[in-house]
Formats: sequence, structure tokens, C-alpha cells
Amino acid sequence: MTALLAPAGTTEMAFAAIDEGADVIYVGPLGWSRRPYESEMTDDEIKTVIDYAGARGKQVRVVFNTFPSPFEMDGFLEKARRFDAWGVSGFIVTDPGAIALFRRMFPHLVLHVSIGSGVTNAWDAQFYRALGADVIILPYRWGEEEIVETRAASDIGLEVFLFETVQTGKICPGKCIMSSYLKFRDWQEVEGKDYFYGSANRGAKECYRVCQTKWDFGAADEPPTPLKLRRDARLMLEQLPRFVDLGVECFKLSGRERPTAMIRDLVRFYRKVLDGIESGEARDMALHADELATLQARWISEKRKRVDTLMTRADGLRSDAPWTASA
Amino acid sequence: MFELSTNVATPKQLRQGDYSAYDALYLGDFSCPDYPKNFSADPDLLAGGVDMVKSQGKKCYLRLYAVPSNHDLPWVRKVVEKALSLPFDAFEVHNLGLLLMLREMGCNKPIHLGVFGNLYTDATARLVKDYGVTRVYPNPELSLKEAIYIRDHTPIEVLMPIHGKIPLVVSETCFIVEHSDKAVEGDCKFSCSQDHWLTRTKGEWSLKDTGRMTLSGSDLCMLEHVDELAAARLGAFYVQSHGEDVDYAARVGEIYRDALTRAFAGEPQRDLSPQLEALKGLAKMGLCNGYYYESAGRRYFGEN
Repeated sequence: MTALLAPAGTTEMAFAAIDEGADVIYVGPLGWSRRPYESEMTDDEIKTVIDYAGARGKQVRVVFNTFPSPFEMDGFLEKARRFDAWGVSGFIVTDPGAIALFRRMFPHLVLHVSIGSGVTNAWDAQFYRALGADVIILPYRWGEEEIVETRAASDIGLEVFLFETVQTGKICPGKCIMSSYLKFRDWQEVEGKDYFYGSANRGAKECYRVCQTKWDFGAADEPPTPLKLRRDARLMLEQLPRFVDLGVECFKLSGRERPTAMIRDLVRFYRKVLDGIESGEARDMALHADELATLQARWISEKRKRVDTLMTRADGLRSDAPWTASA
Repeated sequence: MFELSTNVATPKQLRQGDYSAYDALYLGDFSCPDYPKNFSADPDLLAGGVDMVKSQGKKCYLRLYAVPSNHDLPWVRKVVEKALSLPFDAFEVHNLGLLLMLREMGCNKPIHLGVFGNLYTDATARLVKDYGVTRVYPNPELSLKEAIYIRDHTPIEVLMPIHGKIPLVVSETCFIVEHSDKAVEGDCKFSCSQDHWLTRTKGEWSLKDTGRMTLSGSDLCMLEHVDELAAARLGAFYVQSHGEDVDYAARVGEIYRDALTRAFAGEPQRDLSPQLEALKGLAKMGLCNGYYYESAGRRYFGEN
């Protein structure tokens, strides 16, 4: 049985995803989940979502996929304890040390290794399994071969994003801090985080997707080539029957920052696709090609709007923190 | 009292460079297995490299490929097997799977966790310490205070980069080759021997790109803060010279050797203006302090 894991950037999105058939939804607590605050939730909202999901037999994972500061580990753990008491089913975590701590504290919960951990090979999966992780998200760019290799190396659960990217090299997330080098955003005093790291990796800030703005690239003595550092992702479809056969246990839809209507339609679509594969009644993905094309066009359009919003924000920000004018 | 180190990718760089200012050298380019004559990728180069470094009375560390795929691990294993028989003082790893592999291979040498090891917390430092890690290079996003906290609360040695461009992104494929009309598959033509820069079309952002790694445009510079580093009892310092010519490592090393020696001896610093000017002259896009003072990485804070 494969699970459909859907994003919930708001309570409205959470309810929609559950109602449309997501098995599990994931939510980010304010300041701790690599997304801007408008796509994260307050603790009260998370409790509401846990209750809503629980009443319908569905699960909620809380995303703790920032790298916490060593100074904030106590608060990090305290918040996790709170969600556990409210009935969360698991956590999505990036920091290896935090994964090991969470395993000891929450032996009954499901622990996912986040994409931010920057996995590159099957031995990484073994490492995280040894820490006690239950599920590992595979890099966007991995295909059948890597799934087979990882399956052979470890009994860790395999999770795959429902989109794919053309291999262009730059490893994101997990091995990139370009955004925080270039821009720095003040964070509001909220949820106990009143300090300023200016990094998606570190929480309470957003990655400005600087890789997706326009750059000129080249050697000094050559005319520059205009480009983006990463190409647009594509929603995944044709690989799904094979991935199910290979033992992928969880398919993850991303998009906490996208409109609820977009997520609702995607959950409905992928629910239908996965049910058809599992029942054996609809393994020919060509059946869904037209519908996917429509969704793909919306997906790209929404993504570009999002990038434009982030770049506009970045352009309006200082590159420094005004209160640290001297060291 | 303190250790000053830098990186050397190839035998040629090792022969041509003046590393007299350094106590230790990290051999190899961890970002690109295709870099010609890269210590990190060619077991046949290791004996000569470590001999040359040792003959200069320096410690010698071997850098291992930072982002090995499943296909890379067999050749990385061969590099490790060879290196285990040689007098390297430590291995540097950036990948936790490879760290696990080293333990399985019975590695009894000290291990350093490299910059792409994503070390942000003392919890992770304690974890990797159990796998034989004795020194960590904190993620560049950490402040000085956080790095010191990790050192004290793990406890573990931290390697503090004090000069050079900051590694920001690592890649599994070569960005230069992907956008080159000269290179063909399997033959990159060593295009990265020329400086490549990413410049935002709209304005002020510049980054250096060496193909498999993107670095800060500005050079991290802690020259004006060496007394603070010494007072904090930090002891392992690093000049990041990847993507620079050998003269860069020599000149920068000379400047910091002098300043650090004074700082650790408790002597007042000389007027550092000439040295700062020299460092500015080596930095095409100026100087910065990285994230050490809790700001965007490209900000520079002087003493004044």
C-alpha cells in the first residue's frame, strides 16, 4: 500500500487535501520548516489539523526540516513533544543529530529524512536507517536505478516526490546556501524565535529562489550566456507504476506555498492515478496524459508567480542586518 | 598553538606553490572527480603527494569526493584503500554514507567533516564523533558564537575558515560543461581553468563558479578579527584557495601567519592596512565576513 503525502500550507489546504484523499498531510510550524511564514502554521492551527485528520483516519506529519541553531535545540525538542502529545503521527527532519534525538524521544512515531539532508547515495540511506529513520525522501533527480540500489542497501522506507527535474547539477536543497549569502530578511518575533539567521536552511526565512532569476554566466573573456541556474520541474506520471512495483511506499506532493485549489486538484488527480495502479485497473499512464498536461501548465504558472513574488521581496531587502553594524 | 591550513588539488599545484606559511595541507579537489590529476580521484597520485607534504614537515589530509553517487563509491573506495596504507594524518569527508563506509572499511585515521557535511548542531557533532570524526568544518551559515558553542559542548575541534571564497553550492555535474559549446561528453577541456562568474542580469549579485562548486563572489576575510579568534581559543584555521592560483595561497598564508602568530603571542597587531589592501587586491569582488557576525554572508564588518 502506497501513501499519498500532501502539503498543507494552511488549514484550508489541509482540509482540502484530506477531503480529496491524501493519506497523510504535512505541516510546518512557524519558523521551523524552510518556508515563509505564510506557508507555515501556528501551533493552534496544527492542533486543529491533527484533530481534523484524526477524525477521518488520516495522519499528520510535522515538518522540522530546518537545521536548528545549537542554541535553540531545547525549544526545537519541546515543540516536538507538544505535537506528539496532540497526536501527530511523525516528523520530517533534516539535521542528523536531531533525527537521532527524535528517535530516542519518539520511538512510536514515523521519522522521515528530509530532502534537505542532501542524500547522494545508497550508503546515505543506510546511515540514516542506522539512526532510526523510517522513511527517506529520494533526490528529485533519482530514477529506477537508484531506487533499486537503495532498496537493496537498506530496509528504510522510500519516498519519492511527484515531480522530476532535469539533471542540472546544483544540489538543492541540502547543499546550497546561495540565498542567505545574497539576502537577509528580518523575521518577526513569533513562536519564540526572535533572532535572525536569514536562511531557509535555518528557519524563519525563505529561500529567495535566487537560482531561478536571470543570470549571466561565462568566462571573463567571453560574451556571457543568459540562463537560470535550475530548470522548471515537471509533474511526474509515467514512472509511477514502475516505482510502485519497486517498493516506493510514499509519494510526496510538494507545494505548501501554492494555491489551495491547485493542491486540491493535484491530490484528486494523484489519488485517482495511484488507486488505478494499485488496483491494476489503470496502469497505462497515457490515460491521464491530457489531464496531467493541464495541471502541468497550472503548476508552472503558479511556480513562476511564486518566484516573481520572492524575487520582488528579495530586491526590497537589505543584504545586512541593521542592528549589527559593527562586530 | 594554532594550525593554518589550505587546499591543494594537484601535484602540479603542490610543486609550484609556496606553502611555507601553512602547517597542514588538504590534498584534493573534493568537488570534481574529473579535475585533471586530482588527488581526491586518483590513487596513483597519493604516495607522491603525501611524501612531498611530509617532507616539508606539514600535516597532510586527504579530501574525499563530497557528493559521491552509487556509481562513484567504488572508485572512492579504491582511493581510500590506497590512502589507508599511506601516512595521511586524516581524511576529510562531506558525505555521511561515505563516513559509514570508512568505518566499515576499518579506517583508524582521524576523520574531518568537510564544509558540505552540513554541520549545524552539537547534536550532529556528537553523532559524527561516534563515527571517528575529530574535526568539523561548521556550515558557513553558522556564526562564530555557534561554532564556539559546538566546539565546547560536543566537545570537538572546529576548523575555522578565515580567508577565501565561501563554498555555497556543490553540484554532481559540471555547470561550465553544461553551458559550454567547447566541451564534449567525456572531455571537459578543463574549461574551469578560466575564471567563470555568475552575475545577476539585473544587477549587484556576483558569484564565482568553478563548474561543480559555486562560491561567494567576495572573499571571506577575518584579518581584522584574528585577536578575537585567538582569544576564543580557536586553533585550527583554514584559507580556502579553491579556484585561485598558487600565488593566492602563498600571499594570503603569509599575511595570516604573521597576524595569527602575533595574536597567539599576545602581541599587538601591526597596522594591518597594507595587508588589507593586499588582500583586497586579490579579491575581485571585495571582502566579506561571511556569516560569522549573524548577517547576510557578503557583509563586511571592519574593526571600525
